[in-house]
Amino acid sequence: MAVAELKSETLSTIKEEHWFTVIGRRFLRHKLAVVGMIMVLIFILMAIFANVLAPYDPYKQGLAPSYSNPSPEHLLGTDELGRDVFSRLLYAARISLFVTVLVNFVSETIGVLMGAISGYFGKWVDSLIQRIVEFLLTLPTLPLLLFFSAMLRGMTIPGLPDEWSKAIIISLVLIAFGWLGSTRLVRGMVLSLREQEFVQAARALGASDWKIITRHMIPNSLAPVIVSLTLGLGGVIVLEAALSFLGFGITPPVPTWGNMLQNVQERMWQQPWLAFYPGLCIFLTSLSFNYIGDGLRDALDPRLKL
Amino acid sequence: MTNYLIRRFIQMSLVVVAASMAIYFLLWLAPGGPLDELRQAGRGGVRQNAGFNDEQIRRISEYLGLHRGPFWGYVAWLTGEDWFKAIGREELQTSTCRSAENTCSKGVVRGDFGTSWNIARGSPVGDVLLSRLRNTMILMLSATVLSLVIAIPIGIISAVKQYSRLDYFVTTFSFFGTAMPVFWFGLMMIILFGGNQSPLYKVFGFPYLPTGNVTLVRAPLPGSLLALLDATPGSALDIAVHAILPTMVLSLLYMAGWSRFMRSSMLEVLRQDFVRTARAKGLRERIVIVKHAMRNALIPLITIVVFQIPGVFGGATITETVFNWPGMGFLYVYALGASDYPVAMAFLFISAVLVVIASLLGDVLYTIVDPRIRFS
Repeated sequence: MAVAELKSETLSTIKEEHWFTVIGRRFLRHKLAVVGMIMVLIFILMAIFANVLAPYDPYKQGLAPSYSNPSPEHLLGTDELGRDVFSRLLYAARISLFVTVLVNFVSETIGVLMGAISGYFGKWVDSLIQRIVEFLLTLPTLPLLLFFSAMLRGMTIPGLPDEWSKAIIISLVLIAFGWLGSTRLVRGMVLSLREQEFVQAARALGASDWKIITRHMIPNSLAPVIVSLTLGLGGVIVLEAALSFLGFGITPPVPTWGNMLQNVQERMWQQPWLAFYPGLCIFLTSLSFNYIGDGLRDALDPRLKL
Repeated sequence: MTNYLIRRFIQMSLVVVAASMAIYFLLWLAPGGPLDELRQAGRGGVRQNAGFNDEQIRRISEYLGLHRGPFWGYVAWLTGEDWFKAIGREELQTSTCRSAENTCSKGVVRGDFGTSWNIARGSPVGDVLLSRLRNTMILMLSATVLSLVIAIPIGIISAVKQYSRLDYFVTTFSFFGTAMPVFWFGLMMIILFGGNQSPLYKVFGFPYLPTGNVTLVRAPLPGSLLALLDATPGSALDIAVHAILPTMVLSLLYMAGWSRFMRSSMLEVLRQDFVRTARAKGLRERIVIVKHAMRNALIPLITIVVFQIPGVFGGATITETVFNWPGMGFLYVYALGASDYPVAMAFLFISAVLVVIASLLGDVLYTIVDPRIRFS
């Protein structure tokens, strides 16, 4: 009895650190991940305060002669219709980041649920879900994304402003192919968790399937999902930009970083900055997300590092 | 093995049929399409007098075979329309087929993908695709070979010398490569190296590179690399010089991913017991790496190489578009934009077939390379 008390006393004197502080400290050690975090925060602030920061209306044409060079009035010059490129770049951040975040969160949520259900119930549920995933994974992604966006180009969601309705439609197309990876990931985790003692204990205590899935399976397989979500953010922003660049994503006049590159080819050498800055934004955001993901992987589970 | 192969073939056919069916029905459900465009024109679009009345639209839909509806449309697309007459459903045939039997579509199962609606109106889709195949294969094969030749040694060396300066360089490079939007990278390369407006030419007199198309149309302009090499339009040299920029962009992209892949595969093998045994036997490090570790690390590469097969057919959509390289990917984007559904359908169908074949081929190759893997 005395020994037991002594032990619990020593234990309580060790300063207990919250899980988040440990993760946070480990994350801060990854310098590039911290830089990435700051970059992403800057971009997010840019997007949120676009209406305050932008000196002009991004849709207003003829502010200056077409293709004016950068000047104090127009920091990045004007485009083919005399619109202010800097303002458009800020507003484009809104659409591009909104699509990226929406697509990733929705598809990871679907993926986690599908993976957990598939791994937990096994049998025909598992084979059905896995066959669907395999089927979708074998199809050529980019041509199909182009195909779906081409089909849905004419659609609008009633009651929403044009830019948001376009953004949501393109997000749906990307979500349709976005949930496959995390489904497989979570299924694998759940398959191994299912056999572990604490799950059996929970079952013996009479916990329902739903409770076991939401209380035990999902929280325990969340670390790799968070990593794959962050890494996925970088992929989706490039993919959305590619669709918009090819003319099948969000179409002008709504500015996105991808479609701002669409018509630059004619004036590429005279106004190279028109091609440079939107692409640089895509590249930097994607790179930052990738580094954050790398940092999170190191922080959440050092063994996960390849 | 035979049983396994038969089962796989049945599964594969089902997958391809299901995929093509899904795509075909989506085309019907989607808003837009050629008839909608005509109806729009009929309501007084840009050219008021060029409007189409209902009778004309009916004739056009019979000419294109759109009057059949999605179900019979798919049946005709898959199996041809010549046999409709034999079962007494002549009204399901297209108007041209009804009047001249030799123009009847034979269907995909007999290798006939129908006729193009828009981008090469009236010519067989198969011919349209074949005309682009050579260009795509030139680009994809050279990019694939070049990337493999460079990425494999780089990945292996950076795994063997983990945490060395080279390793950090490779890691950074692959991070940059995965984050880089291809189209932007392509545009930047064009600005730097392409055309007589490029800074490298204007400032340093560096011979500039062609930025689009596969061959010259007329004699090269002075100052370009083509003029320097005295390339005649249409020659192999001409094509090779045109391919430099797109190949470079595509290869850098592949290399970024593949060197990383190779590195992690090699790291995994190096940790295994048989490598430790080989070292313990006193073998020279060189032999351990080349003969024991490398050969095993190359096995996962099968997946990459095998899945390049559909790629060599389908091309690189984005790169081809940026460089105006008239290949398959470029054609597909063009066909989608112009609502030329037979061309788009044929492209997607062949891609899907090649993808399932590639995945089967990959699985079979694994059993050959690694006898421990067996299928039943």
